[in-house]
Amino acid sequence: MNERLPDEPAGRVEALLDEIVDALDLDAEVVVEEVEDEIAARVEGHDLGLLIGRRGQTIDAVQLICYRVAFRGRGDRKRVSVDAAGYRERRRQTVERQADRAADRALETGKEIELEPMSPTERKIVHDRLAERSGLETFSEGEEPERCVIVAPLVGG
Amino acid sequence: MRDLVEFLVRALVAEPDAVRVSEIDEDDGTVLEVRVADEDLGRVIGRDGRVANAIRTIAKAAATATDGGRVMVEIVED
Repeated sequence: MNERLPDEPAGRVEALLDEIVDALDLDAEVVVEEVEDEIAARVEGHDLGLLIGRRGQTIDAVQLICYRVAFRGRGDRKRVSVDAAGYRERRRQTVERQADRAADRALETGKEIELEPMSPTERKIVHDRLAERSGLETFSEGEEPERCVIVAPLVGG
Repeated sequence: MRDLVEFLVRALVAEPDAVRVSEIDEDDGTVLEVRVADEDLGRVIGRDGRVANAIRTIAKAAATATDGGRVMVEIVED
């Protein structure tokens, strides 16, 4: 078991994901693509909720381990992303909708609105989404993994 | 589940042959004690314990898949 991980980062990511898919007893296929600045892996199949986890915490854990394993002992690092059944895009849309609603409510009520806890990647989606909205500012508060974005109306905005 | 944790830890470290994972059954679940070479401790724990927590999260998912009940992963520093 595991005696020979491939040398190449993309091969390591694929071997790792194959093992995890097996251990979670999923009926799924692993696809890994490498481009200049990223190794993009995705798991395709049905019923991948267990791999994704609550608020994506399992897929984020898998992504972190993949990155660490891919580039252990190497200097040529690049981003590693792991997706499951289109989860990342669906989640991005959900987070953007939450950001929009929080912005509307903050402007209506003049009060700070606290979003649910999010990963750093998700918080960046909120900050980027609301960067162009006038009369608002966004910042993050709290400690991981409960850190969340606050949407605040600007005084006099 | 033990096999998966061993696989992940061996993949993370520079000295896979030094990796030992022992499984201890307790009333409220299974404890997996992970031992690695001293110089690999940082690789399996990570900044603020992020790597160790990621291993725990994946182990929990595997335990759910196999109906293995509660699982605790402990990185043992001898």
